This record gives sequence, C-alpha cells and structure tokens, in this order.
Amino acid sequence: MDDIDKKILRAVQSKLPIAEKPWAALGRELGLGEEQIIARLGDLKKRGIIRRIGGNFDSSSLGWAATLCAAKVPEDKFSQFVEAVNAYPGVTHNYRRDHQYNVWFTFIAENMEQIDKSLAELSQATGVTDICSMPSLRKYKIKVDFPV
Amino acid sequence: MGIDRLDKRIIAFVQGDLPLKSRPFQGLATELGISEAEVVARLQAMADQGVMRRFGATLRHQKSGFAANVMVAWRVPAADCDRVGERLASFRRVSHCYHREICDGFDYNLFSMVHGRSEEEVRQLVEEMAREVRIDDYALLFSREELKKTSMRYY
Repeated sequence: MDDIDKKILRAVQSKLPIAEKPWAALGRELGLGEEQIIARLGDLKKRGIIRRIGGNFDSSSLGWAATLCAAKVPEDKFSQFVEAVNAYPGVTHNYRRDHQYNVWFTFIAENMEQIDKSLAELSQATGVTDICSMPSLRKYKIKVDFPV
Repeated sequence: MGIDRLDKRIIAFVQGDLPLKSRPFQGLATELGISEAEVVARLQAMADQGVMRRFGATLRHQKSGFAANVMVAWRVPAADCDRVGERLASFRRVSHCYHREICDGFDYNLFSMVHGRSEEEVRQLVEEMAREVRIDDYALLFSREELKKTSMRYY
C-alpha cells in the first residue's frame, strides 16, 4: 500500500462525497483523477482491504430494534449454536469471548418482538437456554472509521 | 424523519456495494423513474438527519495499527451512567459506548469497545479509564474468534 492508497483509504472511509459522480468528487478533493480513483478502489477491493463501499444506516432512526445478546454455550453445542445464530440476517456481528457468556452477537430486526421470538426459537432449536438480550438505552458513541 | 417507498429502495441499493462506475446511481435512478440529482438529494437528507450514519468504505479488518480490542462491560450506578458514558466516549481509543438494559444473568449496564496495539496495552488503557471514571467494577470481554461480521441489510 503506497501513500496514494493510504490517502484514498482515509478519505473514502468517512468523507466520500454524496454526489452524482462521487469518485470524480473524491478525486477533486485529493487532487487525483476519477479514473485513478476508480482503478485504485477496485484494486483495494480485490486485495481484500476494502470490504464494501456504500451507506451504513442507523437502525433506531429507521424505527428498527437492535440489541446485544450474550449466550452461555457448552462446547459440545458450540458449532451447532453458532450456525443457527448466524443464519439470521439480523445477526450482523458475532464473537466468541472469554467469559461464561462465551457467544456475543448483535441482533437487528423490525421490532423487538421479532428478536425475542427468534431468540426463543433459537433456544428451542439448540437447547441453549441462557441467552441474555441487552437492548441499548442510550448511545454515547459509535465511531466506525479508524486512522489508516 | 419519514422514510417513504423511494427512500427504502435507495437504502436497499446503497446498503450493498456501490458500482465503481462514473455514475453509480444512474441505473437506480432510471429504475425508480427519478433523476440522479433526486437520489443524491434524498441520500444527503438521510445523512443530515443521521438516518445514514456513514457513507463510504468499510474496511475488511477494522485495521489501523490497532491489533487488539476488548469489550468492557461496566457496572455503574444508574444515576452515574451519563457521566461515565460520556467520559468514556471522550477517549479516542473508545469506538463504541452504550448504556444498555441489564439482563438476569449479566447485570452490567455500560458497554465500551477499547482498542490498542496489544492485549497488554488494552488492559492498561482500561485501568486508566477505570481510575478516571472511578468505577472499579467491570468485566473484560476479549474476543477470541470472529464468528460473523457483516453489514445490516434493511428492506
């Protein structure tokens, strides 16, 4: 990754112009041509550095419900449970963590009833009964871009 | 802000991966029977209102020289939540900070993600934060395996 790639990565993470020709607009800000921006971004994707370029939406502004869940999963049920949880499109992040509650995932759906129903289904299907749901009451910070 | 049928279609489009073409909204605009300028104006309105939190690239590994991270769950008296939450949020190494409902099995109410160059450094950072906010009841939840990571698709 050279300096131009780094410059593009920094800008494209959070300052991609909302414009009819966003790559040209980004190029103008960085002193680079549209063609060059498109080629470099294509390459950064191909190399797996960029996962996707698009919009991220705030679930609560859209009126959707979101929660953080934690489950106590015995080792012998671990892979079965993970497969079942990950099958829900509303489960966007899932991690194994060092704790009695060893599986932590975020769950987004149109409403909380739907999430609670899915969690009940999940318990039923996997035999994992200890699943905590901790909806957010207040958000103090969410920052998704990092310095490159 | 009211989200109408057109907004939903626009959200469905940009929550995917934008085409790397000079005019990425051209096809969508044609399909919706509106101008590209209108697509852009609606996206801008959603960004202004915070409905669209971010417009840009998501990196595969939220990398940045920060190799380690930890989720810290804090047990904070209800009356102190805003003070502690806002103070924690002000640290540059904290990316996320939420006040959450407690549940029966896990009664910690404040959650923050802390990033550092190593597990060692992350532990030190959390100790400093704990002294700073005067809360010594917390749990460190290190991630040991990423089991799923994707962007939400609405509509």
